[in-house]
Amino acid sequence: MSPLRTRSAERPALAPVVCRWDLDKTYLRSDFDSFRQLLRTAFERAEDKVDVPGVAELIKAIKKAAARHGRPALVYFISASPPQIGKAIRDKLALDGIAYDGIVFKDQLAHLKRGKLRNLREHVGFKLVELLRGRLDAPAEARELLFGDDWESDSLIYSLYADVLARRLDVDRLLPILRRIGVDARLVDQVVALAGKAAGPDAVDRIFINLERRTPTATFRLFGPRVVPTFNYFQTAVALGVDGHLDVEDVAAVGRTLVERSGYTARRLENSLGDLVRRGVVSVAAAAGMGAALRAAGVLSAGAPARSRWRRMRDAFRRLRRRKKTRPAPVPLAGGALDYEAILDRLRSPGREASAEGRPA
Amino acid sequence: MPTIAIDAMGGDHAPGEIVKGVARASLETDIECLLVGDERRIQEVLETVPYNPEHISIVDCRDAIGMDEDPHEAVKNRRDTSLLVAARAVAEGRAAAMVSAGNTGACVLTAARHFRLIKGIRRAALASVYPRHTEYTGQDPLALLLDVGATIRCESEELVQFALMGSAYARRISKVPSPRVALLNMGVEGTKGGETLVAVYQRLRKMPALNFVGNVEGNDLARGRADVIVCEGLLGNVVLKLVEGIAEVFTDVASAAARRRLSWRIGLALLSRGIERLRQLTDYTQYGGAPILGFENLFIKCHGRSNARAVTNAVKVTAKAVRDRVPAEIAEAVAALR
Repeated sequence: MSPLRTRSAERPALAPVVCRWDLDKTYLRSDFDSFRQLLRTAFERAEDKVDVPGVAELIKAIKKAAARHGRPALVYFISASPPQIGKAIRDKLALDGIAYDGIVFKDQLAHLKRGKLRNLREHVGFKLVELLRGRLDAPAEARELLFGDDWESDSLIYSLYADVLARRLDVDRLLPILRRIGVDARLVDQVVALAGKAAGPDAVDRIFINLERRTPTATFRLFGPRVVPTFNYFQTAVALGVDGHLDVEDVAAVGRTLVERSGYTARRLENSLGDLVRRGVVSVAAAAGMGAALRAAGVLSAGAPARSRWRRMRDAFRRLRRRKKTRPAPVPLAGGALDYEAILDRLRSPGREASAEGRPA
Repeated sequence: MPTIAIDAMGGDHAPGEIVKGVARASLETDIECLLVGDERRIQEVLETVPYNPEHISIVDCRDAIGMDEDPHEAVKNRRDTSLLVAARAVAEGRAAAMVSAGNTGACVLTAARHFRLIKGIRRAALASVYPRHTEYTGQDPLALLLDVGATIRCESEELVQFALMGSAYARRISKVPSPRVALLNMGVEGTKGGETLVAVYQRLRKMPALNFVGNVEGNDLARGRADVIVCEGLLGNVVLKLVEGIAEVFTDVASAAARRRLSWRIGLALLSRGIERLRQLTDYTQYGGAPILGFENLFIKCHGRSNARAVTNAVKVTAKAVRDRVPAEIAEAVAALR
């Protein structure tokens, strides 16, 4: 029995899980660093669009695991891309066999008409509004998993959303943050109105950030342990497995897809697992359990001889003891919420969060 | 892709620069990097830089040999230093080769203790790269000098083997099809240098597989007459330290001059672009490190002051040497000699 099965048994059996996905750089490998690439992305056909390795398998795995446990799983996409490219994206999702429950695009043309050019690049207001709207439509008891990347301000947006939902961030504290970011006044009003209605119990379990730019992981410490930066979707699957959202067979399916379709090796997956342990995302014991199950499933290489395995386990426990002694204390929360002032100081100029995240700490 | 073991705790700037160099290699290549050292300190550095964890694994080991420690004592008495653990990983087949910027003496002793000599090779040689004048476009601006300290006194057979090893390495790494090999001596004539060097001269001259260009004197070292220069360890080490000393004195004199007179400062400023180009041309960090040759496993020794760039390049050079089967090439050359 895997640790995740034990954990999932402890959860309320039928609480639905809502997964909210960003699209570009999280689901799709979109390149729009230059104007030419932006144009190409806009006119790209569905069959030419490339998804991030393992992402489609992960979404399917979440749905399958939820169905296996009699738990509804809802998948939503929120994209800052304009609705004009929506058809190609919907076709791409259909090609990948992704069953989703909703998709929202950013009406860039409306901002253009209003002459609000700044809003074309500023996504915090738009995404917060859509997340809160989505929450109002979701079952009240639903747990949420949020997926973004390190190109835009996903870690900030999702953290604000989680803290607003959990009533850790009231309007008085939210307003100065939104103003400092430079969110459009209309959107600020909408966020405030929706926040009052959507706030309830703490609903966000994890925020996964796909490190597409390889942003240093230390950059995300200010966001606390809820935000989990991952280098590939195998790492995301392992974290979800340990949290009880996936079974071992689902994690194995994601790993197998990476090996069979994306040139990964068992060694690369093993190293990814080791990285999660060193960063404290999963415990040594959970990783050992998961590793053993994945080895049995043939996704990781067969283990070393017994003596060496015992030695590795012993070393791992020693490391865990050392880590407990030396690891920095969790990020202190100001009144339960994150220290957004410090986060914004770190991100510096509003609207430029992506570049700030990309800088080494 | 080969697995390269890297001693994360060896070097003046370890583990910071070593880990940063490996992190960069993990992003730029598919080389499997096995970092050996204090896991907590390694991880702390990793988390501050971009890296790809898919190509990095860590062997936790907290003991490390200091740069100023007695290498004999350290290698003999402390089994679990990062250097020895990395060497064991190579010897046990968990890695194909290793890189260290640590204590040079300890590196040579560790290689001797854990790696087997290639069949027929009598002694290992520590090679070093040094900047030299280039005679044609595309010529490697760095030449190989061996031995620089692994074998203090050598017999003629050993020097002949060093010539073969250096030639094989330069052929693979510098991509010189037929590297010019020279013997460091006190005169260009084949009769100079005493019994041993005369015998070596005669033997190398008769080897058709080797592009032997004769003896070179000290003043020829920097002129680019040869791609590989062979000498015994004592002499090589003196030459290496002399070159380093001259470079340091030159820098000190220029700095002192710049402080003393405005006109000299202006002169140096005007020359700065040229000096920078010269510095880039002979920048050891682009080469990464120098090999300890003669063993079945490769050991690349980086400069003790290596920065991240040097380490990245050392990892790349090591992987290239593994892929190009440098030890096998040396073994073939020595077998042909027999």
